[in-house]
Amino acid sequence: MDQNRGLGGLESLVMGQGLCTMCGACAGMCPYLEAFKGRIVKLHDCDLAEGRCYAHCPRTTLDLTALNRNRFGSEEIPVGLGFQNRILMARSLDPELLQRAQTGGVVSSLVVLALEEGLVDAAVLTQRGKDLLPSGRIVTCRDQVLDCAGSSYVASPSLAVLNKGPWNGQERIAVVGVPCQISALEKMKSCNLLQDAPAARRVVVSIGLFCTWALSYAPFIDFLKQKLPSQVVEAMDISPPPERILRVRTPSGTMEISVDEIRPFIQPACAFCADMTSELADLSVGTVEGEPGWNTLILRTQAGESLLEKALAKRLLEVKPLPSAHAEHLVQASMLKKRRALEAMKNVEDKQCGYLLADSRWLERVRLGTEGRQQ
Amino acid sequence: MSLIKTDAPGRKLLLMGNEAIARGAIEAGVQVCAAYPGNPSSEIIGSLSQVADELNIYVEWSVNEKVALEVAAAASLAGLRGLAAMKQNGLNVASDFLLNLNLTGTKGGLVVVVCDDPSALSSSNEEDSRAFARLADLPLLEPSGFQEAKEMTRWAFELSEELGVPCLIRSVTRVSHARGNVELGELPREKRLARFDTSKPILPVPVVWTHKLLHEKLQKCKKRFETSGFNLYRGPEKPQLLILTSGAGWMYALEAVSNLGLEDRVGIVKLGTTWPLPEGFLKEQLAKSQKVLFVEEVDPFLEANVKAFAAQVQQEIGPKLFLGKGSGTLPDTGELTPDHLIKLLKEELQVSYEPRPASYIQEALEAASQSAPARTLGFCAGCPHRATYWAVKKALALDGRDGFVLGDIGCYSLGMGPAGFFQMKTLHAMGSGAGLANGFGQLGRFGLDQPVLAVCGDSTFYHAAIPALVNARYNGADFLMLILDNSATAMTGFQPHPGTGKTAMGETVNPIDIEGLCKALGAEVHTVDPFELDRTLEILSGLLQEKKGVRVLVLRQECALVRGKRQGRLFKVWVDQDRCLGLGCGCNRLCTRVFRCPGLVWDASSGKARVDEAICTGCGVCASICPASAILKEAS
Repeated sequence: MDQNRGLGGLESLVMGQGLCTMCGACAGMCPYLEAFKGRIVKLHDCDLAEGRCYAHCPRTTLDLTALNRNRFGSEEIPVGLGFQNRILMARSLDPELLQRAQTGGVVSSLVVLALEEGLVDAAVLTQRGKDLLPSGRIVTCRDQVLDCAGSSYVASPSLAVLNKGPWNGQERIAVVGVPCQISALEKMKSCNLLQDAPAARRVVVSIGLFCTWALSYAPFIDFLKQKLPSQVVEAMDISPPPERILRVRTPSGTMEISVDEIRPFIQPACAFCADMTSELADLSVGTVEGEPGWNTLILRTQAGESLLEKALAKRLLEVKPLPSAHAEHLVQASMLKKRRALEAMKNVEDKQCGYLLADSRWLERVRLGTEGRQQ
Repeated sequence: MSLIKTDAPGRKLLLMGNEAIARGAIEAGVQVCAAYPGNPSSEIIGSLSQVADELNIYVEWSVNEKVALEVAAAASLAGLRGLAAMKQNGLNVASDFLLNLNLTGTKGGLVVVVCDDPSALSSSNEEDSRAFARLADLPLLEPSGFQEAKEMTRWAFELSEELGVPCLIRSVTRVSHARGNVELGELPREKRLARFDTSKPILPVPVVWTHKLLHEKLQKCKKRFETSGFNLYRGPEKPQLLILTSGAGWMYALEAVSNLGLEDRVGIVKLGTTWPLPEGFLKEQLAKSQKVLFVEEVDPFLEANVKAFAAQVQQEIGPKLFLGKGSGTLPDTGELTPDHLIKLLKEELQVSYEPRPASYIQEALEAASQSAPARTLGFCAGCPHRATYWAVKKALALDGRDGFVLGDIGCYSLGMGPAGFFQMKTLHAMGSGAGLANGFGQLGRFGLDQPVLAVCGDSTFYHAAIPALVNARYNGADFLMLILDNSATAMTGFQPHPGTGKTAMGETVNPIDIEGLCKALGAEVHTVDPFELDRTLEILSGLLQEKKGVRVLVLRQECALVRGKRQGRLFKVWVDQDRCLGLGCGCNRLCTRVFRCPGLVWDASSGKARVDEAICTGCGVCASICPASAILKEAS
């Protein structure tokens, strides 16, 4: 592991290099950093040599080998989709959840189940607020989960609320996040800069979302306001290639915007991300191209498996095998993201390229595009 | 009890220089006195206001220096004696009127006392106001001591009355703020009746004619100065070096010559009347030595004028070697000290003198650093400005568009340094923050996308910010005006102002409502207590987002010192030692390292913060910033 360099290091190596993913892992812990309207704002200088902000950040150092070893107990990391027990297609059987969900309602169903079955006492989700501003929210019941359904495609510093609470110190917690957040969560669990155990250590299940990129809040919202003056956005969805259309639903109709138009608002940090499927989560959820209304479900740990088992037993979800062509396509997309990230790091000399620590075999396979052995 | 009204001719009192000036004005029978406070001049009107009722004189704190001079000039035009006092910057404000009044002339004696601040100990510049005497063709007197300050002031009224022009007196910090024995003179027994002669309009036109008349008055003045007792020579008949000095330089020269035992070799010419020059007297003195050293603060005013005169009479007095600021012999900025002169005279006259061991300064600094707490220039404990700048800093950081605060003169000027978290980015004249904001507030059309904020205090608002706000409304400048109303002219010593509801003479009047005034201009106006940090931040953030001309936020909370005197602490404040995170991640001494209220101290041995109860004024703001909720408060 590299040496913790405190807030000064975080500023120079991450924020100042355009590597901040806005995951929120550095915020909500101190008076120096605050997540505000799509930015992590430094309010004052902090001269501590070591800080949790640096330790939590998924872009200071992300030691894939160590994190995978801790999580899955193996030295070798499968290159395609990370460790997995199995991969399925799934969708919710709850009509209300299906209606509110972005795709198949699997995430909402699993979180509601975990809360209602007492597997967890609370979950950290992401909610779209006023002007589509997303932020983390601690939820404890079905209605609150429903408030958080759907995506805005905007980066949200949701982990700040995991840091900040309020917590009573005893809760078991579920976290839903995108890959950078799931990576940060694993770093947060192992941080021991304070005597008090962080809330992250009480996270008993993590649900990772598939992610190819996220938008920067401020420029995107300015763009949307220009496109849709004085309109309330009800939902947004991006269709998969080759169409690639952002559909924005408002009370007066749906507007279609080419994804190329919003590409300029993609966070620069996303170009350096090598994780599409939240490889460190207990289970990961995404869409299935060509199968509207269905989610892809990657089960990675026993915690993930047992959550699915309960959902099936209670007939909250239905599942079916993911056709091999779809699985293969997913692996290729994931490999492509990894390869592009490595290329981006190589090409841009002033970036801190070394945030990703992995063994040479993994790196070689990514470069060659050859998938590793599955567990 | 004020000493300056003591009716005991011949008695000696220990008076501050500014009190001596006030006493001189009283002995001269002054009836109207006005000023805007500003160090080092504030005690002149401050002390006069305390005796105003008893001596039946009118004293006011005016809204600014120009109005102060106009008030005093009105007394003169009605045949009474008037006094206006100000600091060097103030004369700039008053100068527009002064440079017309010189042409119209005056009737009753009118004296304008300007206290300069060499080294800018409490100023934003160290301007040498003597240049105005030349510019305005007006007589200038410079006292060198306390008795002289009183006598000179008294005489200045007579001179003004005799010549029919205002007379300037230039003091400096070391005369105004030091104390010395002053022998009292008679108090006047009669009051003049005020009457304006409507048959003789007071006009500067025709200008060329009145200008010519003014020059004739100056010639007459020159003659009076030739015989003035305020100019003197001390030294041998043929000194090796002649020191030519005025003001505080006289004291430094005396000390240096005496310490070096050079009384037989060095002569000192002290000039009390420095414009117009007493040429006959000067010619006589200059003839005494070939080497002349000018000792004066700050600019080479005497030096330039005397050199010009010497060139004129060169054939009579012979060639001279002039030493001073022009030759680089003495510094041309900052205050002088006897040490400057001792060093120079030692070298010029080849004498040896060791006033103290070479290591003395170093040892003194070390000793001081051990016994004095390390403190930077900062706000008092519980100062509302600290809370204001804390909220401003956070609001601007969260806003993220690199907004900036334009400032001016007041306690809140410390916003430029660590006390105000380096938030104030410009500092010029009174009201200049608002004025500059008028300009910056128009630059959006040229790409300026940073929020523009201006800051001024309550007293400064009345002094100079109102015209800027009128301009902003009229021309549609886009900025946020922060008026830091601490209900006092705090920096200069808590003088009342139009918002306090009191006058210099203690009368109760209706306060002039800042919000009402701004609303009347059509500005959007909000008011908040800066101690309510969250609310202040919320309002600030909201106002930063608005893009519609000038917005005003009044941040009202009484000066901690005023409140302390009136009602004591708002809260008892203490630090829960168990909860304090100290240097831990999540705090890192936010209160003592960043917020830095002097009421909070860092205890390195325990690694915790604590409240210094002797200093804390109980504002309770620190309780809102502690990330661990370890700072607790309870209404006291």
